[in-house]
Amino acid sequence: MPTVEMTYLEAIRQGLRRLLQERNEVLLYGEDVGAFGGAFKVTLGLQEEFGKDRVFNTPISESAMIGAAIGMATQGLRPVVELQFVDFGMTAVHQLLNNAGPTHYRTGLSVPLTIRAPCGGGFGGGPFHSEELESLFCLMPGLKVVYPAFPSDARGLIYSAVMDPNPVIYLENKYLYRHVKEVMSDRFDPIPLGLARICRPGRDAVVLTYGAMVHEALRAAERLSAEKHYEIMVVDMRTLKPYDAETVIAAVTATNRVLIVHEGWRTCGFGAELAALVAERAFHLLDAPIRRVAAPDVPVPFAPSLEKAYRPDADKIGEALVELIEY
Amino acid sequence: MSERKIESVDDGRWKAVLRCMMLSRAIEERLVRLYHQGRIFGGVYTGIGQEAIGAATSLAAGPSDLFAPCIRNMTVHLGRGETSLNVFRQYLGRASGPTRGRDGNVHYGCTANGVYAMISHLGAMLSVVTGAVMARRRQGRDAVGVAYIGDGATSTGDFHEAVNFAAVFDVPVIFLIENNKFAYSTPNAEQFRCKQLVDRAQGYGIEGLCADGNDAVELFLLAQDLMSDIRQKPRPILLECDTMRMRGHGEHDDFSYVPRELLEKYAARDPIAQARSRLAEAGLVAKAAADDIELQVRSEVDQAYQQALEEPVPDPADLMEGVYADR
Repeated sequence: MPTVEMTYLEAIRQGLRRLLQERNEVLLYGEDVGAFGGAFKVTLGLQEEFGKDRVFNTPISESAMIGAAIGMATQGLRPVVELQFVDFGMTAVHQLLNNAGPTHYRTGLSVPLTIRAPCGGGFGGGPFHSEELESLFCLMPGLKVVYPAFPSDARGLIYSAVMDPNPVIYLENKYLYRHVKEVMSDRFDPIPLGLARICRPGRDAVVLTYGAMVHEALRAAERLSAEKHYEIMVVDMRTLKPYDAETVIAAVTATNRVLIVHEGWRTCGFGAELAALVAERAFHLLDAPIRRVAAPDVPVPFAPSLEKAYRPDADKIGEALVELIEY
Repeated sequence: MSERKIESVDDGRWKAVLRCMMLSRAIEERLVRLYHQGRIFGGVYTGIGQEAIGAATSLAAGPSDLFAPCIRNMTVHLGRGETSLNVFRQYLGRASGPTRGRDGNVHYGCTANGVYAMISHLGAMLSVVTGAVMARRRQGRDAVGVAYIGDGATSTGDFHEAVNFAAVFDVPVIFLIENNKFAYSTPNAEQFRCKQLVDRAQGYGIEGLCADGNDAVELFLLAQDLMSDIRQKPRPILLECDTMRMRGHGEHDDFSYVPRELLEKYAARDPIAQARSRLAEAGLVAKAAADDIELQVRSEVDQAYQQALEEPVPDPADLMEGVYADR
């Protein structure tokens, strides 16, 4: 089968292009996504290929964008809405928490819409262009939350997200857009939502993570393997709601030591949920207390020196792993 | 005002308008009694005195048209075909009701009738019906929408976003402002500074009209004209209807803050009484025929309430059922 090398960003675009080709009910809209191709150019070329009827710009109106998507989705379309930054989606939280999420439970209507939202920092974006808000979305009944870390997952999961009969928050990591490449088949199968993936085997500890931190964890694991012969398992959650508890428990069973890593804030972050899951279901298997590496509870700072101190990375993960294993 | 005369519409349709208003009044008067007798769950919010708006607009519409009713629009539900039995099931939290006990009072709709279930975040549904109309027109159906909103909710960002969004995309939706003078306890003077809310239409680059919200006959003729016009030449319209909330925000509210003279002024312009006399004068619905309808709806309400009361409440074992859609 022919292969291609693709960035994370190109892989999302390939997934979207296939959806637009195969499914006439798929529409793509948001701020600047038309001829301009979006702030990050994920949709570049799609308006030209599929027309203004399928791929179009909207006013800067996050609530109307999501509200309209609810209306479209309940009438048989599959709208894909790009939020320019996940941070900006906070002006429309009620449309997700109170409208899209509960609609099926309240009324029996399916709402197959997808919100694409670029997340994360590491590039000097400051407080309003770097946030990681997945745990907010995970709180909202009726939503699904997806967060790929690899190009192959990004295209397979966007396909499943758009075809899912429920509202799906599809989180994209801006740092990964162009930093991560993968050689992969030019054809793909959809990847089902709700499944984590063990992306590195190991016996001494497991890192439970997702998004950009998967790559930081892999770097830390490589280093510890070379320097200390510690073998670290890395689990990429991929879908945060509903999440894959069985893979988590199996990983804890195999390693007995757990480090949870995410790029966003620590207090009430998604890691708190994973820690609770492990404590509830696998406490007896643990050889050391569960540890978390996450951002401290401060607004995302701008200056590179501050952002480096703020953002979890391979160094911080490596230190935590050594402490965990040598506990 | 429409150029057309009352005689251009047949007596059957006028009887339907009258019946819709009378049935709504009868249901809501019963709900008020049940509330004060402590025989109903949660709140009761009525549209008593505002029946003309929903009855005229919903009965002037076509089969593929879509509606986003608000708090005081029982007549939209009934005009589109909802049964009094389903209304009581909804208020009594019955498993057989439109939301199967998952939601209460005014928060219900009916897909087959083209009616969306409102959420309490006022303004949120305006963009939903806009998107739904966009979807239907994309599918080749000549749908138009009507989104109802109170004077208070015109102060929300959602109102602004949705009206502007519909204007940009030329979506045929009537944004119908029911100016009933009070948003809960807050009077118009503390809500906005423009002379009249319809003045805002100019700022969105759309047409705005005012109408007497208590005159079902004129409103029906106007709604027919407007819907036919925007069906042909798709575009949104702002329609401000003058009316009065004749009771509290809900039945828990004694509305002592409302000047009695204002209530008396509008009591003399009761929409049902006005329509009865106008239709009798025109020789379209005689007094005896209107009396018959009145008797029928009162007996229908007795039966519907009794039947709903006897039906089962939701099984707690089904609590989790329906959060996600399977298809």
